[in-house]
Amino acid sequence: MAYEIVMPQLSDSMEEGKLISWKVKPGDQVKVGDVIAEVESDKAIMEVQSFKEGTVKELRVQEGQSVPVGTVIAVIEPTGSITSEESGVRSEERAKPAASNEQLGTRNEEPKEEPQKTTQPSTPKSSNDKEAQRAVQTTNDSHSILDQILGFNETPPSIQNPGEATGVASPKARALAAQYGLDIEALQEEGKLPTPAHEADVKRYYYRRYFTAKALKLLHEYGLSPELFPVGKKHSEKEILAYIAEHEIPKPEPLSPMRKAIIATVTQAQQKPVYHIYDAIDATLLKAHESERYTLTVWLLKLFAEAMMRHEDFRKTLSGDAMQLWPNASIALAMADGEALYMPVFRDLNRKSVAQIADELAAMKEKVKTGRVTPEDLKGSTFGISNLGMTGIERFDAMINAQDCGIAAVGSETGGKISVTLTLDHRIVNGLQGAQFMQTLKELAKEKTLFKT
Amino acid sequence: MIEMLYREALNRAIDECMAADPNVVMLGEDVGLYGGSYRVSEGLVSKYGEKRLIDTPIAELSIVGNAVGMAIGGLRPIAEIMTANFSLLAFDQIINHMSKYRYMSAGKITLPMVVRFPQGVSKQLAAQHSESYEQMLSAVPGMHVFAAGDPHYAYHALKKAILMDDPVVFIEHELLYNKKGEVDFDAEVDPFKARIVKEGNDVTIVSYLKMVDDVMAAVPEIEERTGKKCEVIDLQSLNPIDTGTLKTSIEKTGRLVVVEEDHKMGGYGAQIVSWAAESLFYALDAAPLRIAGENVPIPYNRQLELASIPTPDKIAAKIIQWGADNGL
Repeated sequence: MAYEIVMPQLSDSMEEGKLISWKVKPGDQVKVGDVIAEVESDKAIMEVQSFKEGTVKELRVQEGQSVPVGTVIAVIEPTGSITSEESGVRSEERAKPAASNEQLGTRNEEPKEEPQKTTQPSTPKSSNDKEAQRAVQTTNDSHSILDQILGFNETPPSIQNPGEATGVASPKARALAAQYGLDIEALQEEGKLPTPAHEADVKRYYYRRYFTAKALKLLHEYGLSPELFPVGKKHSEKEILAYIAEHEIPKPEPLSPMRKAIIATVTQAQQKPVYHIYDAIDATLLKAHESERYTLTVWLLKLFAEAMMRHEDFRKTLSGDAMQLWPNASIALAMADGEALYMPVFRDLNRKSVAQIADELAAMKEKVKTGRVTPEDLKGSTFGISNLGMTGIERFDAMINAQDCGIAAVGSETGGKISVTLTLDHRIVNGLQGAQFMQTLKELAKEKTLFKT
Repeated sequence: MIEMLYREALNRAIDECMAADPNVVMLGEDVGLYGGSYRVSEGLVSKYGEKRLIDTPIAELSIVGNAVGMAIGGLRPIAEIMTANFSLLAFDQIINHMSKYRYMSAGKITLPMVVRFPQGVSKQLAAQHSESYEQMLSAVPGMHVFAAGDPHYAYHALKKAILMDDPVVFIEHELLYNKKGEVDFDAEVDPFKARIVKEGNDVTIVSYLKMVDDVMAAVPEIEERTGKKCEVIDLQSLNPIDTGTLKTSIEKTGRLVVVEEDHKMGGYGAQIVSWAAESLFYALDAAPLRIAGENVPIPYNRQLELASIPTPDKIAAKIIQWGADNGL
């Protein structure tokens, strides 16, 4: 039995995943645990591994393509699991690509042949035909990318009997050819169109003949039909760009899984009953202890974790009808890299040394940079911090992440103070509790004992 | 929106029309006391009495003949024929009288009547109880032919047929009476419109009555094997044909398949294909495909019976093969 690898569900909310890159190609041998592909979920890029040993038979998804969770993305023929006679024949063929005529003959006589969906042309009758076929085959290969762009998601049918019965075409193909000014019969004789010719064949030929590859790519990106442009002349990228500018056509940009996840999270955050507390903490000690290793963010994590341990309401989350009180202080920290925005969680900070926190922060920065944040990294917080101090912003407020009870927006230092705005979920933390928490933050910022490394 | 059986939807349509208009009457074999062979008129006799639910002798010609007379006289009769096969006895009344009076009287006489019957291959009812006659009836001008494929259309189209001043032949399928489906009573349904059961861009599959369900059962395999998307259309009104809906779909897909249960020779599907060839020739990207029953009287033996009509497996296999031969 072939072993099918499906698009994994990497988080509860994940409905589809994007195939970032293949790490194998058909024919490769894989062992258990070998990485097959990289896949992007809502927020993270994960590696997909093989759970069986075998040969990669087929990759069904293109790099960059998004498919629903559960879709088969690759097929692996496990080692030593040939069950039917048919698969036995196939693996033998693969092992000996240079099969003798005799073997080919045997195969042709086999009654159970696969349905006619192969790209292999039927046996050519003369050497001329052979060449014509090869020409078409090569064109097809070099243009396979265009097929994808144009939505011809299937290998074009091979020309079965070149030179014979030319002039056979569907009425729709004929109507199109007339519109495009193409001579179906002549093109069939030259081996440029199959017999019978259908709509897709004529379009494929016409688009390639009259649009540059760059022009087609552009049309695809803007969701424009090549039919918008007059027939009978070649269209370049330049012309398409002029059309786009003149008709004010916006470029549709499909939402990345990341953008979708951000939209979902902030929309959810917007619905929370929140209020704000505005104040500032003393910057003297924080600034004094800031270094390349022990950044301000490290100290802020330490400071907030300590305050959370003194105010248990900030370690609470709302789950259905119950409040959950968590034993340790875990903080989600807003970290951005371009469009990518993560709230990775630094767990159990009250049990960690400043050095450990600094190491974890550095490691996470690297993960964010390379897009390797895992869904596991995003779980388990009860409170968040968003620090925009380094950008010179004096004061702002932030949106609460996921299930957290609140978030602190930390601004830049002005006049020896750093502004802190708390955005709090009133269902979990009330105004007085919020004010007391702020008071503790202010006191802790002045406590020298906190800043021991 | 209520989920109900096909026969319950028909029953409700008749019930509502009888409640609203005392001129609505129903006649046929066992429609009264027994509630109808397929329970379509169940419970109505106790509500509206024997004068409005008339049990007739086994004499189909007289059932439709009486209904024609009632309609001329101002009533709105619903004539039930137990199965299409028996309607042959009533064809003289249907074709020579019901469909013609309005024309022959220069519009002075209208016939607000409905002739209802089930048809098609059920389970082992043999050749004389398994026929389909939509091809003959649709060939008769002067009356409408509706074919109900689901409870929603059954309810709305039968109501509209009863309220209409033109004669209507209302075809049901014997295997659909216990089919469940959502009925939206408040929806505005045009009985002359076809229904797009499923949208798709690559192949238009036209069908009606029970074959719509068989096509839908075949679609997943077709789509998986070909990678193309099917658009499935339930015609619903067989005469007149909703050519507008068909045209839009065929112009989009360029490919037409018609699936009918009836014998292929002279079958109703030929009319759809001929219309498409005449009207949409340059929109067709492949020769249309007709999937229909074999040219044999329906056999009694279950295996032979199934061999004589389209089934989901056969529909899928034929469309996949046709697609491979025609550049799909």
